[in-house]
Amino acid sequence: MSKLLLIMLMLTVWASAHALQIDEERSIRTLFESKHSVSRAVHAAAQQLNKEDLAEGRFTINEEAAYEKAMEYLRLNLLLDASGHPLPGSRLRQRVVLEDWAVINAGQPFPFTYRNSRYNYEVTLDRPGVVMIIAVSYPRLFSMMEPVVWHVKGTAELTGPMNTVYTSLSS
Amino acid sequence: MKQILVFVLFAGMLCWMMFSPIYKHVFIVREALLQKEVDYLLETGASGSRGYIDDAMVEASRSRLEQAGMRRDQIRYRISASDGGVATSSSRPLLRGTGLLLTISYPYERLFQIDSLIGIAVPDSEERMSASGIKMSEYVP
Repeated sequence: MSKLLLIMLMLTVWASAHALQIDEERSIRTLFESKHSVSRAVHAAAQQLNKEDLAEGRFTINEEAAYEKAMEYLRLNLLLDASGHPLPGSRLRQRVVLEDWAVINAGQPFPFTYRNSRYNYEVTLDRPGVVMIIAVSYPRLFSMMEPVVWHVKGTAELTGPMNTVYTSLSS
Repeated sequence: MKQILVFVLFAGMLCWMMFSPIYKHVFIVREALLQKEVDYLLETGASGSRGYIDDAMVEASRSRLEQAGMRRDQIRYRISASDGGVATSSSRPLLRGTGLLLTISYPYERLFQIDSLIGIAVPDSEERMSASGIKMSEYVP
């Protein structure tokens, strides 16, 4: 009888160790996926040039278009609906929250250092760019693990002619 | 009779306990591999020098996944452009500002079969796991 109890105990330990392992693997994968989604979103946003300024030879980001594209690409990559809730097929279960969004446009002194002390994020931009921080909650399969919320950060700079000087632009 | 029944149930439970986590692990690794492949193809395909994912890239990707133990003819690629254009032709690359969409899928095969031992409903072996992504092309002619 005591052996049977021991076996049951071992099975429980074995099963919970595996549950923890699977959850940890999945949570790291969720982090990677969110990071790639944020990177693609800011990458798309940083391509939104302001056409009027471009006609005058200045490289600036169209802020509305950048925000729109960033949200669109984030939604398509993470499979979210318009309010940020996951669609069927998404690996997430809870709403994705946009925590910070900044467009650093021409007119700033470059190199420009963006700081966000709340999320402990610092990045130096050499040209106009966008910064995005989102919060992603990982849906645990088992309750072996503490709840996880990732603050995923991403930055992209304007891609364009490398030697254009952005500093002395006055708007 | 009762003892035989207990033995059968217990043996089934034990087998499931021993092997189910390993199949789950294979599933997680396969999903991760598909996602990595999507990331890689989008990174190279949407870069400034390409703007497309052509057949040669898909074949190379199939070979990479085959090395990880997947069956090459079962891997399915769906490549499209956000403006509805052709995204697989090197002669007509997607221009800067157009999104390149990619979905790779692979059947579950019999990975979850062992769960039916303890009465969990398992996905059909023809159903597919998939990984997808969209990235904006950087290509400028």
